[in-house]
Amino acid sequence: MHPLFRRAGRLALYCFAAALSGVLLAAVLRLLTPRPWLDALVFAVPAALIYGFAVLSAWWVCRANPLSGGLSTLAAQLGAALQASALWTGAAALLGVLIARAASLGPGPPGILRDLATLFVIGIPFYLLSAVVHYLLIMFEASHAAEKSALESRVSAREAELRALRAQLNPHFLFNSLNSINALVGIDPEGARRMCEGLGDFLRRTLALGARESVPLGEELALVDRYLDIEQVRFGDRLRVERGVDPAVLDWAVPPLLLQPLVENAIKHGVQDAVEGGAVRLEARREGDLLVLTVENPFDADAPARRGEGVGLENVRRRLAAFGTHEARLVAGRVGERFRVRLELPAPHEARGGSGG
Amino acid sequence: MADPLRVMIVDDEAPARALLRQYLGVEPGVVVVGECVNGFEAVKAISEQRPDLIFLDIQMPRLDGFEVLELLDPVPGVIFCTAYDEHALRAFEVHAVDYLLKPFGRERLAEALAHARERLTSVADATGMRSESRPAAVTPGTLAAAARPAGHTLERIAVRDGAQVHVIPVERVDLLEAQDDYVAIHEGGRTHLKHQTLAALAETLDPARFVRVHRSFVVNVERIARLELLAKDSRVAVLRDGKQVPISRSGHERLKAALG
Repeated sequence: MHPLFRRAGRLALYCFAAALSGVLLAAVLRLLTPRPWLDALVFAVPAALIYGFAVLSAWWVCRANPLSGGLSTLAAQLGAALQASALWTGAAALLGVLIARAASLGPGPPGILRDLATLFVIGIPFYLLSAVVHYLLIMFEASHAAEKSALESRVSAREAELRALRAQLNPHFLFNSLNSINALVGIDPEGARRMCEGLGDFLRRTLALGARESVPLGEELALVDRYLDIEQVRFGDRLRVERGVDPAVLDWAVPPLLLQPLVENAIKHGVQDAVEGGAVRLEARREGDLLVLTVENPFDADAPARRGEGVGLENVRRRLAAFGTHEARLVAGRVGERFRVRLELPAPHEARGGSGG
Repeated sequence: MADPLRVMIVDDEAPARALLRQYLGVEPGVVVVGECVNGFEAVKAISEQRPDLIFLDIQMPRLDGFEVLELLDPVPGVIFCTAYDEHALRAFEVHAVDYLLKPFGRERLAEALAHARERLTSVADATGMRSESRPAAVTPGTLAAAARPAGHTLERIAVRDGAQVHVIPVERVDLLEAQDDYVAIHEGGRTHLKHQTLAALAETLDPARFVRVHRSFVVNVERIARLELLAKDSRVAVLRDGKQVPISRSGHERLKAALG
């Protein structure tokens, strides 16, 4: 629907303006063919109102023919102007006849042809004016929408960050870790001390990394190692970790707190939910211009799909989007008996360049 | 106290078991008769050992704490031990003696043990037999009904066949059939019996997928190959494996609603 019809106030104002142009039109007609004011007004005001609505059709023509269309757009608009004006002239002829029949007023048969010719000539520039106004309106709306979506993406980036931090500091992870320390105090005080230290170190690193826009992969991996050390105490032999990290990519910049949620997921589904536990495999390497990170865990085909699976992945996806790199992507799925999450990040300088917003 | 309290520890995490062992080791009148590292082991060991009281973790591989309880008959006294507080309500519905939130201290455990002794002696007084002790009014049926929080549908069904436990993902189930106090669960050519009523089990399943087409049958709509009209108001659903399931008139209405 045309935006004018969305608010009654706007529509009333527009009708008033159209009626005023009707008075102007009456003056012009009187100038060309002298007649009493009443005769001129009774024809010109309704005709102006009709055309006032007819030129709104430019809204749809403008949408169908964007300005970038150049000559073809110009041709389309000129064609539309001729059509609109011709239709208006036809409608005005009908109007003239009706008025003459009903009240013996208006231009009357002899003078009407001249009036109609005048209307046709006036109609064309008015239609084109309407087209210009509509193009401005469309541009205004587009820039407004762009602003809004930019704002929305900024808000969702912030949200993603908060969510990541909250997920990082998963309270159940803390509760279970404290319970493990509680147990170690009695049987292995040295182990309890080590675990307190490890937990403290993990929390400190999480807070520090979370405050930064991008971090070297090496630091992100160190955080994951702290996390794995703590989980190793809980799961013992059930948690096995395999690593394949190319030292050459340790300096590459990555968004912080991306890997740990993936590893947490891998432990949950590949180790915690498996009676015998399993091996979590972590890889980082270069493929062409891309940094490729993969996290794998064994996948039990017999286990039903669990609700909530994918929430962790969704978080990481949001963080990637918030990082602002279009080349970055996450692919997750089953590969044989294993579940693999593959992260692709572009070269470091691009990663930094894109992190502006 | 004449007889010691026989307790069992069920937790998949070694430190959590170690902590309970430490705490319980110094409690007078308590003997730890076993430790289990997963739900399958727990069902078997508890059925054999018949402990008075179990310390039960909730988050465990394959079979969670509630599913373990569902498969036990009789059900011993239960003290849940978990890091998650959101299961507390369900725990009370299955008449848990207590609910310990990790991490917990010695005093909190002693308090839970006191609750357990109180509960178990009152039941023992009532029945006059200590060995038959179990919290009143707990049957597998009530447990199963309470084993899922409201609004959540079942993702898997645990069934026990002697000492064996099967966990069936609901998407594999073709058909549920009422057989007296039991439900026959038909799944890919196999049939499992579960001690529960059809109505109670159907209530816990996703209503968009499982439709009660007849007083005695609940069918997985994804397994229906076609519907056949035998006579006026008499229909059968033919499943993909060729099995025919009668459809009642109200069942047909429910089926139409589910299939939209």
